[in-house]
Amino acid sequence: MRYRIGIIALAALAAWFLPYGLDSYAIHVVNVILIFAILAIGLGLCMGVGGQVNLAQVAFFGVGAYTTAILTTKTGWGFWLSAVLALAATIAVGLLVGTPALRVQSHYLGIVTLGLALAFTNWVTNAQVAGGAEGISAIPVPTIPGVDLSNEYLYYYLELAVFAVGLVFGLFIVRTALGRRMRAMRDDALAAGALGADVPVLRMTAFLLASVYGGLGGVLYAGLIRYVAPETFSIANMFLLLGMVIIGGRQSLIGCVVGAAGLYLVRELLADHPTVAQIGYGTVVVLVVVFAPTGLAGLPKRIRDLVTRRRGGQGEAARLQPFQPYETVRPDESGSQSPILEVDGISMYFRGLRALDDVSLSITPGEIRGIVGPNGSGKTTLFNVISGLYRPTRGRIRFRGQDSTGLAPYRLARAGMSRTFQNLRLFGDLTVEENVLVAIDRNATWHSWRYVARPISVLRRDRDLHRRAAEVIERYGLAEFAALPPKSLPYGIQRRVEIARAVAAGPALLLLDEPAAGLNGDEVRQLSEIVRSVRDSGVTVIIIEHNMGLVMSLCERITVLASGHVIAEGEPAEVASTPAVIEAYLGDSMSSDDLPSVPEVTG
Amino acid sequence: MTTVSEPTTATTNVLRVEGLTVHYGGVCAVRDLSFSVPAGEAIGVIGANGAGKTSTLKAVMGLIPRKVGTLSFGDVDLTRVSARSMVRHGIGYVPEGRHVFTGLPVEKNLLLGAYARKWNAETRATLAEIYELFPVLGEMRGRLAGALSGGQQQMLAIGRALMSKPRLLLLDEPSMGLSPKLVENILEVLQRLRAEGLSLLLVEQNAKLTFEATSSCLVVENGEVAMSGTSAQLRHDPQVRRIYLGL
Amino acid sequence: MQVFFQTIIGGISLGAIYALVALGFSLVYRTMGLVNFAHGNVVTVGAYLASTFYLTSKLPFALAMFVAIAVTGVIGLVIERVLRPLENRDFDLMLIGTIGFGIVLDALVIMIWGATGRAVPSPVPSAPIDLWGIRIRTYDLVVLAIAAAATVLLVLFLSRTKRGAAMQAVAMDHEAATAVGIHVGRSNAIAFMIGAGLAALAGGLVGPLLYVSPALGGALGIKGFAAAILGGFGSIPGAIVGGIAIGVLDSFTAGHFQGYSELVTFLVFTVIIMIRPTGVFGERTVNRA
Repeated sequence: MRYRIGIIALAALAAWFLPYGLDSYAIHVVNVILIFAILAIGLGLCMGVGGQVNLAQVAFFGVGAYTTAILTTKTGWGFWLSAVLALAATIAVGLLVGTPALRVQSHYLGIVTLGLALAFTNWVTNAQVAGGAEGISAIPVPTIPGVDLSNEYLYYYLELAVFAVGLVFGLFIVRTALGRRMRAMRDDALAAGALGADVPVLRMTAFLLASVYGGLGGVLYAGLIRYVAPETFSIANMFLLLGMVIIGGRQSLIGCVVGAAGLYLVRELLADHPTVAQIGYGTVVVLVVVFAPTGLAGLPKRIRDLVTRRRGGQGEAARLQPFQPYETVRPDESGSQSPILEVDGISMYFRGLRALDDVSLSITPGEIRGIVGPNGSGKTTLFNVISGLYRPTRGRIRFRGQDSTGLAPYRLARAGMSRTFQNLRLFGDLTVEENVLVAIDRNATWHSWRYVARPISVLRRDRDLHRRAAEVIERYGLAEFAALPPKSLPYGIQRRVEIARAVAAGPALLLLDEPAAGLNGDEVRQLSEIVRSVRDSGVTVIIIEHNMGLVMSLCERITVLASGHVIAEGEPAEVASTPAVIEAYLGDSMSSDDLPSVPEVTG
Repeated sequence: MTTVSEPTTATTNVLRVEGLTVHYGGVCAVRDLSFSVPAGEAIGVIGANGAGKTSTLKAVMGLIPRKVGTLSFGDVDLTRVSARSMVRHGIGYVPEGRHVFTGLPVEKNLLLGAYARKWNAETRATLAEIYELFPVLGEMRGRLAGALSGGQQQMLAIGRALMSKPRLLLLDEPSMGLSPKLVENILEVLQRLRAEGLSLLLVEQNAKLTFEATSSCLVVENGEVAMSGTSAQLRHDPQVRRIYLGL
Repeated sequence: MQVFFQTIIGGISLGAIYALVALGFSLVYRTMGLVNFAHGNVVTVGAYLASTFYLTSKLPFALAMFVAIAVTGVIGLVIERVLRPLENRDFDLMLIGTIGFGIVLDALVIMIWGATGRAVPSPVPSAPIDLWGIRIRTYDLVVLAIAAAATVLLVLFLSRTKRGAAMQAVAMDHEAATAVGIHVGRSNAIAFMIGAGLAALAGGLVGPLLYVSPALGGALGIKGFAAAILGGFGSIPGAIVGGIAIGVLDSFTAGHFQGYSELVTFLVFTVIIMIRPTGVFGERTVNRA
């Protein structure tokens, strides 16, 4: 920590005294670099942290610059008023450009944003008000009483201040609740939604952030160069910006800044040979994605990993500790036990295929319900319908007395439903602790206005979240893995992390999709203990499982599905002796003496 | 080393695997596994989900990174043979979950099974044999593979592997997701193939099917061989039940 | 009414070019699940190569095209070979890798041919045909014929040849394809090569229609990509329908909005994608998404 403060102080000192060593051309270059760094931070937040491919960052930059230019030259309003309005305009455009992200992702989003960026250049090259191909010149100098901002040395300090605030604010977001949630969404939007992260709002937030930084860059650019023209906001510059973020390391804001500075300097050094420079950075982009996908920022870690591997690893230091049971909560016997979940006549068709056909079930609070059935019988589909991933073709679902049919997964999660996934959907690039933190955080994303208005309360809340996460991690015996990415852990431990995460969300109803798959005998026993304890703490559990031994010993009631129908329901022993079940599972022709039979595997 | 059955010395068409280890993202999925499949024999590998069965098969095929001491088929050393060349050495592979080429017609799927060979009159003859073995595929030859039922896709996957005229067939969970009736069909097919002299390495969760289709078995647990023996012995072993149900 | 048809005719020939570009995108996407963002730049390279061989080396137009296609095919091979380590691993990174190649190709074009453009005279100089008052340039008919022929050849290649079937198999399941003995890398390389060849074909053909400049491919690439998505990414009929649709849309917006045509085209495209992300023939893409 002291080491870090030292570095920050040193960097601040260097930034403060930098102009003293530079000639007037060099300071101009530094000023432009700072603008690109601000743009790169915005792009890094949107693309690297939020996972939203945004090829319109250069257009946000342009909207900021052009609006400032138009307002100052055409209306005669002051620079600062125009700047504020320009920022507002950029945000509006940013939200507009981001809307497609609600429907499409990845390369589709890439092409849409790129198309909209082209639409912007097309507009400014043609519009009278934007000065056409000539652009707008003679933008007035921004004024601060007593400071001559036409002096580029002094302008540097203005930019430095904006940049520093921007960087700190960006880092603040990345390291606290909002950024964590954005990174979770980037790694796995489905799982993030199932944990209560409002994915649509988060995607818009990513674009909001990109546009704020884009607008700031634009305003500063208009004030610095005092001339705007379409080619500054061309696709070539968009790709330059992208190159900065990729080479620097898109998931690290510091990396984005380093990338921006480095790439711009190289381009400046090769200013006489722009095509050579372009070939150079294009090649570097290709090399980086192939050989160092995490960019410059990821290099130290890769080197460290390499060194530890050379030394033969640290051995098996981390150990899983035993689970500490929850305190038992006496179920409240007084009230009438109205069902917590009612599935009423659900049918689900996929292009003519009936995955579920008129399935009904009712779950009473406090029970552990098992759902079994051969592969392809519709168990996971049923979970997906209950948790809101699929909208059923027919039928209604009531959760805690409310009609929840067709509700978005994150709304159901907020209402108290939590689930795990058959194939483990942990956030791979987050640590175990962060995985749990995402689940604990129950605030709606729009609460993030506090980041601007009340940053201290955000920090305080984050500290509280960390404390609660530590409790969960301790309880599940994961303390020694807290700082590790789940990908590096053995399968059994990953399964436990996923359950810890689902329970950390504080659900009333917990859906477990094949929690024992891939676990060994001992781990299955521990799982059984965990599930029982979770139930005793007042959570209702529905469990899909193939391991019949586990289901038989754990569940009070079992529902058997076959080909999308409920073919039996009742207590374990009762169900196991139902002929229809034996037929579905074993098929009478092959049932023979004492052969073990686990009739299916994960799909 | 665990040998399922006594290796007949210097016979051709013996698959030998010694010291097979697979790491999956820091997790050891298969640990120092050794076994062999003698010519014309059927060997089973059973175990619970996640025990390392599929990894074993994929590692033998070279589809995933592995470490292996000895890997040979007959006189051919396979340690440096790439996955796509295995078929040229007489090894057919039926992947878990069938993995047919869903967007192509049934017949194209089968023909692609013979990709490594010239497409000629002989290929046509093999195709006719496959249609004879699986009449339903003949009826559906023009249909897209994705439109077939699970059972039909499984037959297609086996048929595709047979199109290369293999001497050893690796099968990964052919019973997966099939009704008992269809599992029985698969069993019949496997028994027939074995009768025709094809060696089989069958990886299965369905112990019943495996014991009936094979002569000896390995039981794997957590990437290691927990026990092995003839199928007849194992099917009555109470320990198998324990390993299997995790009780 | 006559104006209306004239606009449509005007859109169709450019639409055929978009369709060729879209076919290249779709083919590579279909086999590798990858969007090649350098595709547009390959179009530029193709256009310059074809025009250079045609104008400077005085080769016949057809031969010039042929040489251009061969050279860009090699460029496609190089791109695929370099990015091969990322195949079937990280498509977002591959996408950015292709953007990197695009940047390099863009600079190479400027380095070799300069920043200014050139006009290419039509290789078929006869007067336009007059059909019920609608004027059709003969070169437009040539473009349509070649585009149609290329599409038919591509479809035949995919459906009738062993290599074509193997390429599709790789797209559907690369592991199963490996197990039957298909060299996945080589198959992808061929897909990339054909994709680049289609780009060169589009670039060469568009030369006499538009002005050949370094910015040519950017515009064509993005519209071709829009066409591919509009039709349903990965679908061959989709690429054709999408290409023609974008061409006609372009032609109408150029007539009604003049300089703002690009703006309107992209806005319309954005709205369509939001309403129907999978495009017209887009069910295939569901597998990959």
